[in-house]
Amino acid sequence: MRQFIAAILATVTSVSLAVPVLAADAIKIGVASPITGALAKMGADIRNGAELAVQEANARGGVLGKKVELVVGDDKGDPREGITVANKLVQSGVVGVVGHLNSGISIPTSKEVYAPAKVTMISPASTNPELTQRGLKNVFRTIGRDDQQGKDAAEYAMKAGFKTVVVLHNKNAYGQGLAEVFKANFERLGGKVLMLDGIQTGDKDFTPVLTRVRAKGPDLVFFGGEYQDGGLLVGQARKVGLKAPFMGGDGLFDPLFIKLAGKKASEGAIVTFPPFDRAGSFATTYKAKYGSEPGAYSGYSYDAARVLLDAVKRAGKADRAAVMAQVSRTKGFKGVTGTITFNGQGDQPGFKFGIWKVQSGNFELVK
Amino acid sequence: MDWGILGQQILNGLTIGSMYALIALGYTMVYGILQLINFAHGEVFMIGSFLGLGTLALLDAAHVNLPIPLALLVAFVVAMAGAALLGMAIERVAYRPLRASPRLALLITALGLSIVLQNAVMLIVGTEDRTYPEAYTEALIDGFDIGAIHISYQQIFTLGLALVLMTLLTILVQKTRMGKAMRATAQDPMTAGLMGIEANRVIAYTFAIGSALAAAGGILFGLTYSINFFIGYQAGLKAFIAAVLGGIGNIPGAMVGGLVLGVVEALGAGYVSGTWKDVIAFGILVVVLIFRPSGLLGERVAEKV
Repeated sequence: MRQFIAAILATVTSVSLAVPVLAADAIKIGVASPITGALAKMGADIRNGAELAVQEANARGGVLGKKVELVVGDDKGDPREGITVANKLVQSGVVGVVGHLNSGISIPTSKEVYAPAKVTMISPASTNPELTQRGLKNVFRTIGRDDQQGKDAAEYAMKAGFKTVVVLHNKNAYGQGLAEVFKANFERLGGKVLMLDGIQTGDKDFTPVLTRVRAKGPDLVFFGGEYQDGGLLVGQARKVGLKAPFMGGDGLFDPLFIKLAGKKASEGAIVTFPPFDRAGSFATTYKAKYGSEPGAYSGYSYDAARVLLDAVKRAGKADRAAVMAQVSRTKGFKGVTGTITFNGQGDQPGFKFGIWKVQSGNFELVK
Repeated sequence: MDWGILGQQILNGLTIGSMYALIALGYTMVYGILQLINFAHGEVFMIGSFLGLGTLALLDAAHVNLPIPLALLVAFVVAMAGAALLGMAIERVAYRPLRASPRLALLITALGLSIVLQNAVMLIVGTEDRTYPEAYTEALIDGFDIGAIHISYQQIFTLGLALVLMTLLTILVQKTRMGKAMRATAQDPMTAGLMGIEANRVIAYTFAIGSALAAAGGILFGLTYSINFFIGYQAGLKAFIAAVLGGIGNIPGAMVGGLVLGVVEALGAGYVSGTWKDVIAFGILVVVLIFRPSGLLGERVAEKV
């Protein structure tokens, strides 16, 4: 027994001694997204994007001659879990984190956990404007902002001749934020908002709220939220006789949106999402590796991870503060989602959202 | 007041409510006999739904071109039989060895089992939402209008099938020998045992029937909405509320409780706000537990001396 304890002690000591050596051997970056829970598919898409970037970097011999190690964190789409996972990532010694998905998680973790530890956070998916407006030096995003997206959406809706709209959202920082920006812009342009209401994300039966929407008789229904809820909303609208077309933001941009809604019901749905090259080599590589098309944010997470590794390379060392400074100097980085240049607050000025429409079961860029 | 909208909302509520009712029956039957809240029941519902999806997908993959009603029948039979076996296995493996232990041990086992099943399914089928093959959902999506009420074929199918299954269950419990044995065991297991009723068999049978009904609810759910490994959690909780609402242990109570819960939820979401749905459902649970703990139709409490 005593020998056994001694053996354990020896192992523990050698492990704890080995940690700094290991950390010096590999460069660690983190990816944090909801791997389990209601948003698990989107979370996995984000992890896959980062994983692909890391594997490609390692295939080219690593960064600064060292192997890159990806530490995966599962925030479960829950802000409390987000804080826990962020702490774990920081303790594991990552220089930066690609994540999170939800604005409602990116906002608190970047300030409470990552900022004090000087860990860079690059979100591939959090579009809520507040994220980058708090004067934090460690926060960046490869995606655009909802104030831009909501404005682009409202302008298109107005031009397309929709005069009245019902606005629904999923109550989280992203969905509600986007819905409110859309509403404000649509009203500013002279449109009329007949109703604004939230739904419970993860719920499956939306017929009651859709029946209420039908009673209002809008020209268009705008939904701020993700595709799981959005797909069901669009599919069930037909079951209660609601015929107005649906419009939504980047969170709906996923092949599963069309599958969940059904081909017939999804036809003509309008989604704002940045234009990108879907036939490019990234999509091909991704499909070959994961067996499915890249998710909405896979490209953004792939780019975020590459921007981070590029900054490590330029910093010349895996030092958190140095990496953060280099990320902020990212300029003209050629990503698969576009050319990435960060402004002083971590946003990409000039980020453009496009208008996509579902046509015979596919998203087609219309503007 | 727009009566058409009200009618539509009640129909919406009855549709989801009949699914709650089918699941709630399993909770209430098991509680009636074992005084156990089988929290793994929601997962049986979820697995039943996946079995139905798997069957339809297999039929399509094997190019067995059955007409849609026949293919659905096969899916129901396979899923209900599979779920019945799963229910019996759960009882045999997780609950029977603990039957003499304190209730708390059983309850915790049930919760643990629920997590195990949920995660097992997650590892097998993945995390993404899945839909039933479009041929089946599209066949049911259209409908017709009566006044301002739009009735989809899917709603008729759901309500009709739930009604048929509940009628069959009532006949089974009230008219057959096994039904009598179930009622006797629920009332007084010891005396029932002395009369020559084999408790283990009755209990296994109860789990099988409850699980089969949940699987039927699972297919109806899958045909209407989308499914993932997580659906058993919420639907299970709602069905549990329905069972408590109707009076746990009471079979007609579970049916009424499910329908009432569905309608109240729909009216709440339709007239107050979509965000209030769960608040209303769980609010009902609290109110019922405070003011009428025996539920709407009351629990048949056998006085134990």
